[in-house]
Amino acid sequence: MSIIAFLLAGTLAAALPLLLAALGEMVVEKTGLLNLGIEGMMAIGAAVAFILVFQTGSHSLGFAGGAVAGLVLSMVFAFLVITLKVNEVAAGLALSVLGLGLSALFGKSFESLTVSGLPRLGLPGLSQIPLVGPTLLTQDILVWLAIPFTVALGYVLTRTKPGLVIQAVGENASVARSIGYNVAAIRFAAVGFGGAMAGLGGAYASTVYTPLWADGMIAGRGWIALALVVFGTWKTGRIAFGALLFGVLSLGELMAQATGVNLPSQLLTSLPYVVTILMLVVISRRKGPLAA
Amino acid sequence: MTQTTRRSFIKSTLATGTALVAAPMIARAQDVLKMGVVLPSPIADVGWSHALMAGVNTVKEAYGEGLEVTVLENIMEGPDADRIANNLVAEGNKVLLLGSFGYQNGGIQIARRNPDVSIIHASGFMVEPNFAPFTAKYWQGTYLMGMAAAALTKTKVLGCVGAFAIPELITSINAFMLGARSVDPEITMRVVWVNSWFNPASEQDATRALISQDCDVIFSNAQDTPSVISVAEEAGVYVYNLNSSMASYAPTKYLGVVGTDWGPFFKAKVDAHVAGNFEGANYWLGVEDDVVYTADWNADIPADMVEQITARQAAIADGSFTVFQGPLIDQSGTERYAEGVAMTDGEILSKDWHVEGVTSPLPN
Repeated sequence: MSIIAFLLAGTLAAALPLLLAALGEMVVEKTGLLNLGIEGMMAIGAAVAFILVFQTGSHSLGFAGGAVAGLVLSMVFAFLVITLKVNEVAAGLALSVLGLGLSALFGKSFESLTVSGLPRLGLPGLSQIPLVGPTLLTQDILVWLAIPFTVALGYVLTRTKPGLVIQAVGENASVARSIGYNVAAIRFAAVGFGGAMAGLGGAYASTVYTPLWADGMIAGRGWIALALVVFGTWKTGRIAFGALLFGVLSLGELMAQATGVNLPSQLLTSLPYVVTILMLVVISRRKGPLAA
Repeated sequence: MTQTTRRSFIKSTLATGTALVAAPMIARAQDVLKMGVVLPSPIADVGWSHALMAGVNTVKEAYGEGLEVTVLENIMEGPDADRIANNLVAEGNKVLLLGSFGYQNGGIQIARRNPDVSIIHASGFMVEPNFAPFTAKYWQGTYLMGMAAAALTKTKVLGCVGAFAIPELITSINAFMLGARSVDPEITMRVVWVNSWFNPASEQDATRALISQDCDVIFSNAQDTPSVISVAEEAGVYVYNLNSSMASYAPTKYLGVVGTDWGPFFKAKVDAHVAGNFEGANYWLGVEDDVVYTADWNADIPADMVEQITARQAAIADGSFTVFQGPLIDQSGTERYAEGVAMTDGEILSKDWHVEGVTSPLPN
């Protein structure tokens, strides 16, 4: 398999956990909140999904369970921040720690066990195309579903009334409230959506992308997702682009080593993060202060 | 494990034997000995912490009621680990097993403050009268794996997923290469460093990258989960790992394991503590000490190669063969050690260069 084929085949799967979690967080931030607990919600989603898939063999159940676990955990954040008006940074960090701890607890007896991933499906007719057919156009079902979902989410947020209401709540909560919107309810819903998406991203990571459970396996992907939201300036397409870029860089770094490129591997490992910082600098210089 | 090997038979016989002897001896002792164990990762069915715990369990079996073991797993290296180890001492644990390199500095201080406590420490180099580091000579086993790999590879390209480019891992890789080249000098190896002790997703992607670059025997170097093993099995390439067998994750393509059996060493140290003659020294243990062993060899390895490997293992055990013995040529083609000159222990412990045949450059 050539270098290109390797990257084409793997990038979408590497990007998906990040994409799902980042899209969820984008919606949260659009309502004017910041949930730093993505890492914890991904971890709990990953643990619950793995346990369900291991016990029942059903990936659908795993995805559903992972999303619900993320959602339940996010409700802790919503209650603290929206209802009790607790500092959102503290609450988010606490959520990360709590999620990691709970995932370790739940996953204790499943440590280092494996499940089978999902089959990769080719697009009918298109999988015969040379190079891209068996690689880029042969992906698992969640990748295929995520593409229209991302497009639809972008459409809903920018072109429909619910999307504009979410934006209004984020940009000026008191005005939104005065014209009759239930700001707290909308924020609860957004936080729940973000939690479910992070949980789903974790579920994909532990049952499809890396089908095994090990405590700490999310390994910082929640924080990367958080950075991606800023990187993508709260726009669906840019976040998707960022997730893909991150996916291709993280694979490219390993590939560069495998082919014997003479670059320090520590530098290569940090490349995706360096690119994120550079992108932030570029964006902020071009557009001035970041605006949601 | 269902298979009874000669080794495990001897082990269990010995364990039962010592238990029978030890039991009345302990019964006479006034107090129960307390032992504390600090581990860097969760105890699973496989991996580093599992291998250490298997050794601790051997000691437990031998002492029975006479030993009380407290195990704290998944303790991150750093101040928190020092606090936890201190606490174990405060709770009356007289023997400590510190299971990771990063516990060294805190452990040394505890040893200095508490002369009545005996500490054994994994992978370190600092020594005190009551503080003894221990390391396995994994490279003796990876050399043998290299011989097996040479007999099985079709592409003549081997691969290795490494955690961090530190001497302990580099020596394992180099011995793997030397073993393979002792059979077929045309074989080369590619190495990918994931720069993390723990990142299953990255480890799996690294494995796929190596396989895409024609590697058909993969060495999972210091991964605690079967991440590399399961991808290799799926892709149909041979794979092996260190510490404890992961054969169940790769039923057809498991090359074998370079295992570690810490039981006899741990027991000897605990015995020494009880007898009052615990000695702080650097324990560097290998095939000759029955600490490093190989097992679960793949049935695809040709019979004549199995014979050669067995003979070589015996030669390593009796000292008639040394892995890092000249001529040793490095990646750039320069001869580092001339014919007949062996690397010293110190040189092996600080090895920072790859031997000829490893095509990936070493990060500095």
